[in-house]
Amino acid sequence: MKNRILFFSGLLVLTIPVIIYLFPRQEIDYNTQVKPILNKKCIACHGGVKQKAGFSLLFREEALGNTESGKPAIIPGNPGASELIRRISINDPEERMPFKHEPLSPEEIDILTLWIKQGAKWGEHWAYVSIQNQEVPEIKSAWIKNEIDPFILEKLEIENLSPSAEADKPTLLRRVSLDLTGLPPTERIAKKFLDDHSDKAYENLVNDLLASPHYGERWTAMWMDLARYADTRGYEADRSRTIWKYRDWLIRAFNEDKPYDEFLTEQMAGDLLPNPDDAQYIATAFHRNTMTNDEGGTENEEFRTAAVLDRVNTTWSALMGTTFNCVQCHSHPYDPFKHDEYYKFAAFFNNSRDEDTQAEYPLLRQYKGADSLKLLKLSSWLKENVSPEKGDEYYRLLKTWQPTINSLQCDEFENAALISSWYAGLRNNGSCRLPRVTLDDKNRLMFRYTTTLTGGIWYIYLDSLNGSLLKTIPLQDTKGEWKILTSQLPSQTGIHNLYFRYFNPTLQSFEKTGVMFEWFQFGQQFPGKDKTGYKSALNAFNDLMAAEVETTPILVENNKELFRKTHLFERGNWLVHGKEVTPEVPHLLNPMDNQMPKNRLGLAHWMTDKKNPLVSRTLVNRVWEQLFGFGLVETLEDFGTQGIPPTHQELLDHLSWQFMNDFNWSLKRLLKEMVMSATYRQDSKTNDQLLMKDPENKLYARGPRTRLSAEQLRDQTLAASKLLSTKMYGKSVMPFQPGGIWRSPYNDDVWKMSKDEDQYRRSIYTYWKRTAPYPSMITFDAGAREVCVTRRIRTNTPLQALTTLNDSAYFIMARSFAINMQVANDLDVEIQISKGYESLFFKPISGKRLAALSELYFVALNKFTKDKNAMHEILGGRVPNNNPKTAALVTVANALFNLDEWINKN
Amino acid sequence: MTQKGIHTHRLLKEVEKAALQHKTRRHFLKESAMGLGALAMGALFPGCEPKSSVFGNNFFDPTNPLAPKPPMFPGKAKSVIYIHMAGAPSQLELFSYKPELSKLDGQDCPPSLLEGKKFAFIRGVPKMLGPQAKFKQHGQSGLWLSENLPHLSTVIDDIAILNSVTTDQFNHAPAQLLMHTGTARLGRPSLGSWVTYGLGSENKNLPGFVVLTSGGNNPDAGKSVWGSGFLPSVYQGVQCRSEGDPVLFINNPHGMDRDLRKASIEAINKINQEQYEEYKDPETLSRIAQYEMAYKMQISVPEVMNIADEPAHIHAMYGTKPGEANFANNVLLARKLVEKGVRFVQLFDWGWDAHGDSAGNAVDIGLVNKCRKVDRPITALILDLKQRGLLDDTLVIWGSEFGRTPMMENREGKKMPFKGRDHHAEAFSMWMAGGGIKGGTSYGETDEIGYSAVSGKVEAFDIQATILNQLGFDHEKFTFESQGRPFRLTDVSGKVIHQILA
Repeated sequence: MKNRILFFSGLLVLTIPVIIYLFPRQEIDYNTQVKPILNKKCIACHGGVKQKAGFSLLFREEALGNTESGKPAIIPGNPGASELIRRISINDPEERMPFKHEPLSPEEIDILTLWIKQGAKWGEHWAYVSIQNQEVPEIKSAWIKNEIDPFILEKLEIENLSPSAEADKPTLLRRVSLDLTGLPPTERIAKKFLDDHSDKAYENLVNDLLASPHYGERWTAMWMDLARYADTRGYEADRSRTIWKYRDWLIRAFNEDKPYDEFLTEQMAGDLLPNPDDAQYIATAFHRNTMTNDEGGTENEEFRTAAVLDRVNTTWSALMGTTFNCVQCHSHPYDPFKHDEYYKFAAFFNNSRDEDTQAEYPLLRQYKGADSLKLLKLSSWLKENVSPEKGDEYYRLLKTWQPTINSLQCDEFENAALISSWYAGLRNNGSCRLPRVTLDDKNRLMFRYTTTLTGGIWYIYLDSLNGSLLKTIPLQDTKGEWKILTSQLPSQTGIHNLYFRYFNPTLQSFEKTGVMFEWFQFGQQFPGKDKTGYKSALNAFNDLMAAEVETTPILVENNKELFRKTHLFERGNWLVHGKEVTPEVPHLLNPMDNQMPKNRLGLAHWMTDKKNPLVSRTLVNRVWEQLFGFGLVETLEDFGTQGIPPTHQELLDHLSWQFMNDFNWSLKRLLKEMVMSATYRQDSKTNDQLLMKDPENKLYARGPRTRLSAEQLRDQTLAASKLLSTKMYGKSVMPFQPGGIWRSPYNDDVWKMSKDEDQYRRSIYTYWKRTAPYPSMITFDAGAREVCVTRRIRTNTPLQALTTLNDSAYFIMARSFAINMQVANDLDVEIQISKGYESLFFKPISGKRLAALSELYFVALNKFTKDKNAMHEILGGRVPNNNPKTAALVTVANALFNLDEWINKN
Repeated sequence: MTQKGIHTHRLLKEVEKAALQHKTRRHFLKESAMGLGALAMGALFPGCEPKSSVFGNNFFDPTNPLAPKPPMFPGKAKSVIYIHMAGAPSQLELFSYKPELSKLDGQDCPPSLLEGKKFAFIRGVPKMLGPQAKFKQHGQSGLWLSENLPHLSTVIDDIAILNSVTTDQFNHAPAQLLMHTGTARLGRPSLGSWVTYGLGSENKNLPGFVVLTSGGNNPDAGKSVWGSGFLPSVYQGVQCRSEGDPVLFINNPHGMDRDLRKASIEAINKINQEQYEEYKDPETLSRIAQYEMAYKMQISVPEVMNIADEPAHIHAMYGTKPGEANFANNVLLARKLVEKGVRFVQLFDWGWDAHGDSAGNAVDIGLVNKCRKVDRPITALILDLKQRGLLDDTLVIWGSEFGRTPMMENREGKKMPFKGRDHHAEAFSMWMAGGGIKGGTSYGETDEIGYSAVSGKVEAFDIQATILNQLGFDHEKFTFESQGRPFRLTDVSGKVIHQILA
């Protein structure tokens, strides 16, 4: 990192004066010449956060407007009359800007002067301009394999560097397999490639890998960071959350190569598509991976709001490479996003039904066995007998229990309380209010409640406890279970506050809660009363509403009655509401299509519109980073003026254009383009001269060499040791983990080691607890996924060494690998080690390596021959060849799994 | 950091790095063009500054991220022991002497204290609850302390009590996050991570930031309170444990002794060296060094974590019992760790909640028992650091995430079975000692019932700013660039509490 800081700053200092002196009359470029000076020297006091003296340089209209002095500071075309130039040039420290800081350099003053003279034009930052089709540089070279390469070669030639030759086949085989599938190649694929001497060999390999079901698992691992996927809810108790079907949705979507525009649309707004199917609902769990707080005494609205804002921030940083969270409190300090634009954007997300409830409503309800058949019959009855609107309404109720009003909306508790912050609970003669219920044409109340008492009566009054009695409902004992009850209501009009009172003559104590409510659903009676089969349809409906189902948290949009207004939060404080706002995208970017609804679906269309400058670039850059170790824009999460500028902007734009237009948003085609390039296929060996010139390989004169991700490393080792289970999908599993990791208060969940092959599933299936994630993955730089992880920063630490050396999970793999090495080969230990090495790296072992490992083998053999106890411990007592030789080979296997070449891809 | 400061800092670091490479990887330096490249660039452009608006001062060397680094200015403290009582002990039974509250005991809480206020559990009109402990003045300073802390009263002249600490969070997890990461939401680096990032560590064979927990549970906010947020993960707290491996995976697999481990690391490093010669990737050199360090840690960690060899008078002083997982043992470990040069030791003791829903959660029963387990070791820590001459440059902080209400809790409007107090964000007590803190000081006053801070109000950001100040950092300039902007531990707030500085 540091070396690159030096490297780039060196370039910067050098280039600016050169440009001025060589081309004094050349047009000044705002983005590359002016904006960096403003960002560095001016904007901290005259930008989005502070506008000292009423002067801001963020937007042109602001910068040219009158300041507090009553005059503008910049007069386009007339630097001599511009206060800005006077103030940066003057010597008097009381007046000179930047105030109390180093003055601008003469070169910087020259640039600003010339810029104002030329009209003080504001340029648009590259990342906010729509993507254009790029011309591929016309360079001839035998090295070039596809259109990526001329872009790379052009820069290399400027730097007087030449690209590296193609890596040898074994290295390429391992590299591309790990990159595309997250696993080493299977024996079959490896053999096929190594034996294939045709020109098509590599392309065939790539095609095989892209067709592998493990491809989807590997790219799901990447996406889980962005989706902040976890199997728990976060915060204090950090209880379990059942959301793994979303992970499975991702695997399928990647494997079937769902076009990226659809892939995003379904995740952002699957619930708003016409007649969404289960998969489309499950896709929306993307934004239900936000944390919820189960801690007693928490304010549900606070954490609902936090989840909404997290959706905004994730949408921008993960999907549109922009740090929008700055704008939560004030206008963006450096980029032209205004404070209210944050909340206009938040308004798209502020009308989902979730409210930090205990059950994490809304949930998709997936029926099991006979119930799913019942649902099928009922839905065809509805189709035949009632209006499509009614049919849809009832079908949605069955699939989502929505729209319902959560009882946590109740207030004005008297001898009543919101139990555990979630359930309205009433004691004898207690009362509370359910505010602002729309009762127009509602003649049916369905509600979910629990009580252990008989004789309870629930009175519902209109508008006050002394108001007219709307309904009296006797509440039967549910024996502590939650039950749904339906009751008729007399028709009403308008919006009313409903007041509840509970009375139970059998309940002596005034301290004891008599009944708890979870939700209320006001609607119309089950339709089709006059149709044949009505009764059994109604029965089926009631049965299904109460049926035991599999659930997944999803997004469901508020209907008109539950519509929530959105306000700006003053300085980001959710308790201080500013003006009301409606959904809108920032003015700086492509406008939203007028035909589109102003909801999440419209937003998804806007994001996947080919005019959107950020979505395609962000994805292409992220995929590049996955293969090459760094993005073309290193700051994957920030393409703004504060991010690190792209190394190859034309290439990024070229690929982003291709991705949308030529590849029709196909990730597989994009990946194929990248891995087929000569750039990718280069040997990753370097030398002193290259390291000096380009320490971090930003020019790509050599192939990528990066440490494997936590998931790749574990999965690779599992595969090599032949322990890896290829079972796909399903509940998250718990592989070996040392004791004492999980200790959440108020939560009795324990890490219960999975049985049999479930111990050896791919890492994406490992149960992810936010407040105590799987330790070995955290050590290898995985994030806790409390919020979206936009980029993992790779480190190199002794704790990593200790993990791969000593973690039982890794040692079991070494044991298994050793036994395979021994069984598969003849008795000569050198052959065993050589073949073992070859099975990992697909090439013969070097003499030095073999010597080092053989020496280790004999040290170990000597020890285990003398110390049988240690031998049994090393072998764990359950192996075919229970002898010192096997134990010594385990030591060798443990060393192999700690080699730098194993932990990295070369 | 000023531009000049950044530059000096960077030069210092480079010299340091060069020296380190010279010492530890003498034979590699020549081949490591990365190291040379950096130095050469520095020499070519002596005046060049990092593009600070983009890179800020993100200074860490991925190949040696825990190398010691100088602070911005000479600090009073070199290391920190931060003791957090998770669950929030009642200030009204420990530090905050409120005779007037006794007179109001059992009376309805006046509406003025409830209007517009939100509590975690109190509903309707609760009763006032008088202090459940007797107070006396102690030491030369004459500071008040309750009978629950008889040992601490003997070192009262070494500590500075903050009586008007406030927060805006009244739930455990968010309040703990605010105290330790500067925000109530998850995902930012913890204080210990910032400090380790800023200063590196003095001991190469131990983690720079160690976390010790007791009380049977992790703190409510989980491992996030020692997480590294957007800082590289190497700066997150390493949990040292009293059961199983003292640091995860520090012990060799059963049957692999130290000699064999040595032989295997030698084989690994020999091959990695060959790999380096083939690929010339500086990361490979770093990996060789990390394996050497791992091997050393395998000795140094169990050694420092073993308290059995401490003399009997030390055990008597702390009340430690080797082999148990308890708070006293952790306090003694904290002393051993800072003695060895560990930069930041964070202790969490869970179980201080006091809602009155059980005897263990009562301010007159559970709290008294918790104090018995804590009072002796925290006092011993101060005395022991002092007798070893370590107190001057070790900053000790004792505190929690919030305080307790002067009202008795009435969850859901009902009387609780025991005497409890609800979470209270408006006034609570913490104390600091050593590391340039003025002992025998009390700062901040609350009203006569201990409900609100009247003067000397401080918040988490001020405490964080003070801790950073004692270590030699200006909290307003100590930043890390992430997601396009410089982040500070103290966000946009924080004032150093000069009133408690010596």
